[in-house]
Amino acid sequence: MSADEACASNALLARANAGDAAAFGVLVRRHQRLVYSLALRMVSDRHQAEDLAQEVFLQLYRSLDALESDEHVEFWLRRVTMHRAIDRLRREPRYLAAPLTEAEQVMSESDAADPLLARRLRTLLEELSPAARAVIVLRYQQDLDPVEIGRTLKMPVNTVKSHLKRALVQLRERMTSMTGAVQ
Amino acid sequence: MSDDDLERQLRAALEPVNPGADFAPRVLARLAAEERLPRVRVPRSQALAGWVTFGLAASVVVAVLLAHQWQVRRMEQGIEARRELLEALRVTDQKLDLAYRVVNAPSHAATPQHSGA
Repeated sequence: MSADEACASNALLARANAGDAAAFGVLVRRHQRLVYSLALRMVSDRHQAEDLAQEVFLQLYRSLDALESDEHVEFWLRRVTMHRAIDRLRREPRYLAAPLTEAEQVMSESDAADPLLARRLRTLLEELSPAARAVIVLRYQQDLDPVEIGRTLKMPVNTVKSHLKRALVQLRERMTSMTGAVQ
Repeated sequence: MSDDDLERQLRAALEPVNPGADFAPRVLARLAAEERLPRVRVPRSQALAGWVTFGLAASVVVAVLLAHQWQVRRMEQGIEARRELLEALRVTDQKLDLAYRVVNAPSHAATPQHSGA
């Protein structure tokens, strides 16, 4: 971000903080993809994700005076979204996925562009614990490294690495068993 | 399946998505609606729980005050009893002292001799 863009972002933040609804609307549009994507991949339900994302932005509105820059807003949004999603998953376990049925385990050859494969992988992600799922989402959706993930989730880096390793092993085993079942 | 394959597939599966064009207006509408309402809306069950907690806390405070008052009264009664005991001892001491002086007075000591004569 250039110095001019940074100034413009800070001015936008200041206007939103002063109660300018239009400025806050710009902030929402700027970050809605980030917040909604995180929420959706955590709770795996569009309505729940929308509700969670809205709650995060309402909380943002009430916390604007504590935020100093656009980067700070982004970090804050990421952290609050993930914590709210984890809380919701722990509080309302019905959003945790049921195990795959046999019929659902039918899949095609490995191909990242395959929408069916992507859907299967997302379903497998729902079998992970909320914390492990959060680590995977931040790593592979947001491209954060373990240190940044640790800061976002307030989690020791070694715990992040441990979640990451175990989750990948679990996902690989489930994917391999599903592929084997088809073959 | 290799690590690279799995990571590539995860990135594809978790690709960010947009919430839809009306998302921001919906957030602003919800914000406007909630800002008109009181900031904290307590559900009825929570309100009841709050009153129960308040009642329990008030009962504890009253019990502590009553216990304190009872203890103060006991202490005052003890002090009064001590004072009365000291007064009684003082009076007894005076009487004994008087009796001693009467018994040992010279006139009293001579009295038996006169009566004997």
